Amino acid sequence: MNTSKTPVTPPPLPRQDPFQFEPMIGETSPLLLLETLLKYPGRIIHELHSGRRPTLTLWSLVLALTGMAIYGVVVGSLAGGTQLWVAPAKLALGTLLSVLICLPSLYIFTCLVGIDVRIRTVAGALFASVCLSSLLLIGFAPVAWIFSQSTDSVAFMGTLHLLFWMLGMIFGLRLLSGMTRFLGGTESAHLKTWALIFIVVCLQMTTTLRPILGHSDHFLPAEKQFFLTHWLESLGGKR
Amino acid sequence: MTSRLKILLRGDADEISRWLAEPGMNWGATCVLVILIGSGLYGFTVGLWRAPLQSLYTAIKFPLLIFLTCAGNALLNGLLAQLLGSGLSFRQTSVAILMSFALTGLILGALSPVSLFVLYNTPPLGSKVTVLGHSITLLTHVFFIACAGIIANRRLYCLLEKISGSRRTARTVLFSWLGGNFLLGSQLAWILRPFIGSPGLTIEFLRDDPLRGNFYEAVGRALGHILF
Repeated sequence: MNTSKTPVTPPPLPRQDPFQFEPMIGETSPLLLLETLLKYPGRIIHELHSGRRPTLTLWSLVLALTGMAIYGVVVGSLAGGTQLWVAPAKLALGTLLSVLICLPSLYIFTCLVGIDVRIRTVAGALFASVCLSSLLLIGFAPVAWIFSQSTDSVAFMGTLHLLFWMLGMIFGLRLLSGMTRFLGGTESAHLKTWALIFIVVCLQMTTTLRPILGHSDHFLPAEKQFFLTHWLESLGGKR
Repeated sequence: MTSRLKILLRGDADEISRWLAEPGMNWGATCVLVILIGSGLYGFTVGLWRAPLQSLYTAIKFPLLIFLTCAGNALLNGLLAQLLGSGLSFRQTSVAILMSFALTGLILGALSPVSLFVLYNTPPLGSKVTVLGHSITLLTHVFFIACAGIIANRRLYCLLEKISGSRRTARTVLFSWLGGNFLLGSQLAWILRPFIGSPGLTIEFLRDDPLRGNFYEAVGRALGHILF
């Protein structure tokens, strides 16, 4: 019996770890995939590794690209006109290209982390990560749209979209680090190096496929530029 | 072969140290093939900024540089390994170093698509900012090669630690190998220049006077230009 007068602090309630690597429940469907990505991302990794749901990888990619295209409509709404279809197309294409460019190195870096994994699992995890990022971007879309209707500043909107994209990317990349934890990976420095390369490729892609935000008569630019140079020029109001 | 390469990437020192004890050079030959493909592919992307012919030359010279460094230092590295008490024979030393370069080749090969993407975005030769293009190409490749080299040498260190049973010995052996390989490798790279190809010079497999001067003199001269 507790005789002391100090109140007894009850033990903290157990927190549910979202990265519980357990099987997914229910038939594979886009809705289930999105719900699981948000609530139980560990289940996606479990299914991808077990290979029991082969369509999961494809659905992840389709939904990721669709999500980026939807957000692209909001991005294009700043300039309006043809940018309403050009921006979604460029964002979806840019995402697909970035993912394809970085997939081989992700596979090698995942192996370097010390885990035995198939390229199909890695591809699925990468697509699911991008899908989660694009899902968050759709969540931010109303906020971005309100701002795009209130300003003409490409620099301001560019910064805002970049901020939202970075937030989405943080959550997306958490899924990849969850995959390495699940599969018993030891070192995270390799994955961080890869994440840096992936982020730089994605950022450069926005400059390669410019203009995404502003308006232009050409679908693609004639001049090659690095993203930092392009951004600095945009912030300085050169273009 | 694929399963072995996966184990090599994972850095399973227990398993890899067993391969070193295998007789014959089958595994060594596999490493040679991986270096040839991985670093050759990457070398192709290095020279592509200058011209397609330069890319072909660099695709040949990049693996060649690795093989010449390994061959030139095989005796020295073997001697150092035994003197410093690593417990590795001459053959095992060569295979261990080849494995390390194979890992570098695998990483660089996987980074080739990224390298191509950087190339696509680099201001081309003949544009107003050619020097900027050359510098970007140079810095990108320095970063990629440094990353691959650091990762491969860390793996080699773990393997040496496993075999020798001592961190100190592993460190001493690794740094002695690195010192020798850097000394020879940097001079061989100088002789085999150009890799990227300077914008103002013609495309050629080797310069007209490949053996004139050395890497360290060139670095000294460059520092002199900056400082004085």
